[in-house]
Amino acid sequence: MSIGMQQSWLLTLIPLTSFLIVSLFGKKLPRQGDWIVVLSGSLCFLITLLIIGDFQSFFHGHGFEPDGNNIYNFDWINIPNYLLIEYSTFVDAITVVMLFVVSLVGLMVIIYSIGYMQGEQRYHWYFSLLAFFLAAMFTLITTGNLLQLYLAWEGVGLGSYLLIGFYWEKQSAAEAAKKAFITTRIGDVGLLIGIIMLWRVAGTFDIQTIIQLAQESTFSDGYLTTAMIFLFFGAVGKSAQFPLHVWLPDAMEGPTPVSALIHAATMVVAGVYLVSRMLPIYTLLPIAQNLILITGLITALLAATMGLLAQDIKKVLAYSTVSQLGYMFVALGVGSLTAAMFHLFTHAFFKALLFLGSGSVIHATHKQDISQLGGLKNKMPITFVTFSIGALSLAGIPPLSGFWSKDEILLYTSEFGAIFYGLLLFAALLTAIYSTRLVILTFFGTPKDQEANDHAHESPKLMSVPLLILAFFATVSGFFIFPFVGNLVGFDSGFSGIVYLDHPHDFHIELSTMLVAISVSLLGVLIGYLYWLNADGRRAENAKEWAPEVRNLLLNNYYFDNFYQAIINKFILGLASIIAWFDDQVVNRSGIDGSAQIINYIGFRLKFLQTGKIPNYVLMMALGIILFSFIMVVNY
Amino acid sequence: MIALENFLILSTILFSIGFFGVLSRKNAILILISVELMLAAVGINFVAFASFFDTSQLSGHIFTLFVIAIAAAEVGLALGIIIRLFRDRNSVNIDEANDLKW
Amino acid sequence: MFSKIPLPDQFDRLIITGGIVTASTTLFILSILLILKFLDFISYTEVFFWLISTGMIIGALASVLLKNIVHAVFSILAPLLGIVAIYLFLGSEFLALAQLLIYGGGVVILLLFALMMTNVQDQPLVEDGSQKPFSIIICILIGLILISRLLSADLNLSTVSSAELSVLAGVIFTDFLIPFLLVGLLLDIALTGALLNGKTHNVVATKRDGD
Repeated sequence: MSIGMQQSWLLTLIPLTSFLIVSLFGKKLPRQGDWIVVLSGSLCFLITLLIIGDFQSFFHGHGFEPDGNNIYNFDWINIPNYLLIEYSTFVDAITVVMLFVVSLVGLMVIIYSIGYMQGEQRYHWYFSLLAFFLAAMFTLITTGNLLQLYLAWEGVGLGSYLLIGFYWEKQSAAEAAKKAFITTRIGDVGLLIGIIMLWRVAGTFDIQTIIQLAQESTFSDGYLTTAMIFLFFGAVGKSAQFPLHVWLPDAMEGPTPVSALIHAATMVVAGVYLVSRMLPIYTLLPIAQNLILITGLITALLAATMGLLAQDIKKVLAYSTVSQLGYMFVALGVGSLTAAMFHLFTHAFFKALLFLGSGSVIHATHKQDISQLGGLKNKMPITFVTFSIGALSLAGIPPLSGFWSKDEILLYTSEFGAIFYGLLLFAALLTAIYSTRLVILTFFGTPKDQEANDHAHESPKLMSVPLLILAFFATVSGFFIFPFVGNLVGFDSGFSGIVYLDHPHDFHIELSTMLVAISVSLLGVLIGYLYWLNADGRRAENAKEWAPEVRNLLLNNYYFDNFYQAIINKFILGLASIIAWFDDQVVNRSGIDGSAQIINYIGFRLKFLQTGKIPNYVLMMALGIILFSFIMVVNY
Repeated sequence: MIALENFLILSTILFSIGFFGVLSRKNAILILISVELMLAAVGINFVAFASFFDTSQLSGHIFTLFVIAIAAAEVGLALGIIIRLFRDRNSVNIDEANDLKW
Repeated sequence: MFSKIPLPDQFDRLIITGGIVTASTTLFILSILLILKFLDFISYTEVFFWLISTGMIIGALASVLLKNIVHAVFSILAPLLGIVAIYLFLGSEFLALAQLLIYGGGVVILLLFALMMTNVQDQPLVEDGSQKPFSIIICILIGLILISRLLSADLNLSTVSSAELSVLAGVIFTDFLIPFLLVGLLLDIALTGALLNGKTHNVVATKRDGD
């Protein structure tokens, strides 16, 4: 039996099995069972390659009609004549891209974790959670119906929650886990409402059927717009977009490999995946699509400015993730599926690389604050080189992958409108500045903490090899946009020939936009160099005096957290106190205690019937006999 | 010849009187003899019906025999209990043996 | 213990008053019945039946109404022995014999012993319960209901079949053998239980504080 697109359910089954084995018996297994998870991760990567090969031949056989195929595995819920939900898998170009990203980054992170988590408590639990997360993530991207998608969506949320709170002994980690879960839940409610609204009219959860029905105008425009905006709200929560972006920076409390896997490469792009999957419907709805565009743009700008001043190495990366996800939504908002998926593809590699590199730094120095780091470039050469490749890729310096995908987005945006293009360029400038700052403060200059610097050393091979592999992909994955590179690996016309919405198109270079993008990136790097490296960062020190209000605003993340806390304190707790009053007075005192008191009172009165005198009881018996006699006399 | 109704009415009257005794008396021994009266009344009923209807099986007669036997056992046990009650409380007034009240 | 029991006084008065009341009542009823007989309204059998029935009812009423506990216990003898005659009317000699032996010989003696063991001499007069007036109504009601149902039933049968002792014995020792044995066992257990229950040295002091 050959494994191909028909067998994509294996991708759910294998990690789920290893999750069960490792979580239940992990403590008794040799090496606490991490090899099982590594094995299942490798198997999943292998299967993914086989699926890609199968897809490739399917792709050739069908010409340029990559509509994928829908495979029904079994009846999931079957109420005859009323409801039939089939467990189905669906593989198309979007799925294939996501599969490659998830399985590769997943495998790298699992291998990296063996080194990073060495000697940690609950080692087997960590690995079983990684397996669980992968199972849910694979289900999410291979599913063919919305209900199954929702299930997997909550599954990755649960995995994320458990892994953020992995160090639950730490108060901040426990609170960050709760914050992440609750914030994404707010979005998930929207997703659920959207799914139910679509189901009410379409009568099915099958995504392709719903898209077809939408294109045949089965839905009324207003209804469909409302449903799709609700659906998008789910994506906003999961992908940490404005205004639900607040959870992602706090989610950095989890182990660093988890941040690389879940909060950079895979789970947070689930929202992008969802909107990409439903993009044929969104293109029909200008209002919803503009909402996506504006949300993405605001997020990209806000997060980039917040990243400028963040002190924690992982938080800088978290803000940059939020910002880059905003880019992807901008691409979807202007209707370019190719650009969004391409940026997702490259971003996954260089952002995972950055996170794993920062993990390497943290592992070596036990410090996360970049003001405490510095001068590590000679101590940790592999980490320095790979981290710099990731950062330059993020900044958009050619020929690294980030440049090509960002350029694609900028190109489509420039066709859409000058204002959006300008704002996005500004965000790109900020991105270049903060990524340069990050590298400089971490690896250049003089060490601020000499003792930590002395103990720093290059990470073990288990950690540095994944860094090198990811660095390779972060460098070359951008070339996949060129048709001749696509031809080399078996896909005609490159990335834009596979992943497209309405019509395939060749990649074309608009020299002017490309030059603008390159110059903006270089300008950003130059500014970073001038401020933080040249003259020993005195310019940056002086800059602190410029605009203290703006600086405070940025340092406090635009007071979003305080604003939400105020809403919770004033509004939600106020409402809760009303409900608590209702619960206490009406439900508890009147309802439960009250009914108990009534019973008690009645019982107190009635107990005097129990006189303890036998003749009284006999008398009652006699009265009963008389009563029954009369009933019988009446009846006969 | 005496008709069946006469026996039945006699039995009913005795039964009602016995029941009245059970309801109105306070002394345990007197309640007991009232119960005996009711049992005797039921015995008349059985034997009367047996004599007038059931000519071959004699079930009513045998049933009455059993009733008499069990009544004797009951009297023996009940009197034992009454004597225990008297030793315990120095009284056979059942209104005073009302520990199981509210 | 036996010295407590004022046998002579009680029995003297009992015999005198009881004898006078019974004799006069019986004579009164008998004379009425005999008059009816001689007027050819009823036969001798019926005279006897009515006499017995009236005696039983009077005795029953006396046993539930009399204040004196000893009088009440003796009065129960009238209905219990009257039943012997009723059984004879119904042709069941064995039952009549059994009734006479068990009730007349056993149960009443037991009751009298129980009387002797309790505080008869301190309070020979008993009080009745507070629900006495109400229970009169109840019992009259029950009696009336039962009699009305009886009379409305269609019981036009008049053949009395007597239960021959030999036939009865045959049925008991064939069809009803196991129940018969079980009743014997029950009697045995009950009387053993009564015996154990009444044993003095077995009594644990159970006086409670409150009473």
